Amino acid sequence: MSFEKNILPYLAPKIRGIVESIKQNYPGIWGKLEEIRLRAERPLQIEIGDSLLVTAEGRLTADQTQAFIVTQEEVIRTLQLIGGNSLYTLEEELKEGYITLPGGHRIGLAGECLVEQGSLVRIKRITSLNIRIARELKGISHGLLPFLMEEGRPLRTIIISPPQAGKTTLLRDIIRCFSNGEQLPFPVKVGLVDERGEISGCYQGVPQLDVGIRTDLLSGCPKREGVFLLLRTMGPQVIATDEIGRPGDLEIIEEILNTGVGFITTAHAWDTKDFSARPSLRKLWFHGLVERVVTLSRRFGPGTLEGIWDGRTKEQIFSRVQRLR
Amino acid sequence: MKILGAVVVITASTMAGWIYSSLLKKRIKIIGDIIQALHWLVTEIGYATVPLMEASSKISGRIQGEARIIFSGFTEELLASKGLIADEAWQKNLAACRKKLFLHNQDWMILENFGRTLGNTDREHQLSAIRQNVERLKVQEEEAIKDQEKNEKLYRYLGIAIGALVILIFY
Repeated sequence: MSFEKNILPYLAPKIRGIVESIKQNYPGIWGKLEEIRLRAERPLQIEIGDSLLVTAEGRLTADQTQAFIVTQEEVIRTLQLIGGNSLYTLEEELKEGYITLPGGHRIGLAGECLVEQGSLVRIKRITSLNIRIARELKGISHGLLPFLMEEGRPLRTIIISPPQAGKTTLLRDIIRCFSNGEQLPFPVKVGLVDERGEISGCYQGVPQLDVGIRTDLLSGCPKREGVFLLLRTMGPQVIATDEIGRPGDLEIIEEILNTGVGFITTAHAWDTKDFSARPSLRKLWFHGLVERVVTLSRRFGPGTLEGIWDGRTKEQIFSRVQRLR
Repeated sequence: MKILGAVVVITASTMAGWIYSSLLKKRIKIIGDIIQALHWLVTEIGYATVPLMEASSKISGRIQGEARIIFSGFTEELLASKGLIADEAWQKNLAACRKKLFLHNQDWMILENFGRTLGNTDREHQLSAIRQNVERLKVQEEEAIKDQEKNEKLYRYLGIAIGALVILIFY
């Protein structure tokens, strides 16, 4: 499995031993592991839908007193191993707050920050690592694709969900299907601006996850610059980006609309009500700028499809709640 | 027979004097090569931001002299990916190098301290740590040159003199 090869060697030896014991003790949940969380002087924790603590023997527990306590030294050691013993190569990552590993797995960082003139320079003392295991679920978007095309044209689509409900995984699969023409009458040229490298799982510039054969990828590039660059140079039929919602993102969407190119993106929101209430996103909904809104939740686990809405009529056009597999 | 014995003794002691005096020269060469390697490391990290293992591997390919094992061994320790951080890999390899390279204790201490700065800081601090260690090694290099100038002939003559003394005492 990719994460065994691409994550375990980077863990501090003691933590690695414990995580390997989880595999022996609970082979059934090993494949469902979503996150491993290391916090200095706090219990070792894993996410498998629920958040569970881990004992020194690799047993899962809810009892804090039984849990293995991660030391600051182990956090730093893990960080150094992740950084190939070369933290000086990670200055940009320490500023952005995440590191990508081979296989597209993502390490989120938190700790004490160094700030100069009101701007974050970097996280200088890392005390928390969140190791997010990237899963590539090919084909999960097949059932949705007919709703995302109209008269041979990809519709302007946004996928909304609370965190960790599978937005990026679904977006990646839609991009792949568009790009390969999978389950579609013809393929679509996709321009992907992967600002945080999470969709393509880019490691040293090479996508680790399949984003299709007709996808032009800009990794680590700010959305605005990336979108304009792709529109000018690559002639995409669809622009794909991850997680809009910051000030200025709406203008980018409007620019894409002006060029007649489609887009597909994601946003954090619980449901369409929450989505339409967010100041930075409401215009998308009320002005009918998006044609399809796909909502996900964790009701039956990550990747539960709650419904699909027509953004122009505000009507729900698909309502069967199901887990995308 | 006595004459043959005397020849053997004087040859051996002279050789010992020569070998020891040549070690003084070797120390200068080793320190000089390490300084050169650290200059390369500054280039690799400062201009190309190359990861430590890759930089060390490149450097070990470029060093011709005995000092090569300091970087080749370090690369191997990192490659073994046994969960060792850079400092641990560096110290482990230095311990193995101590048996093979002629350096003074002070030289080894500088190298040990250098290992503690490896890979755990930002680029600016990493480069500054390397440059500081280059300066320290330059002081050692100068001291080694003086040591050689002062003692090279002394050790050679001492070898012959000790040989002669042994012959005088025992014959």
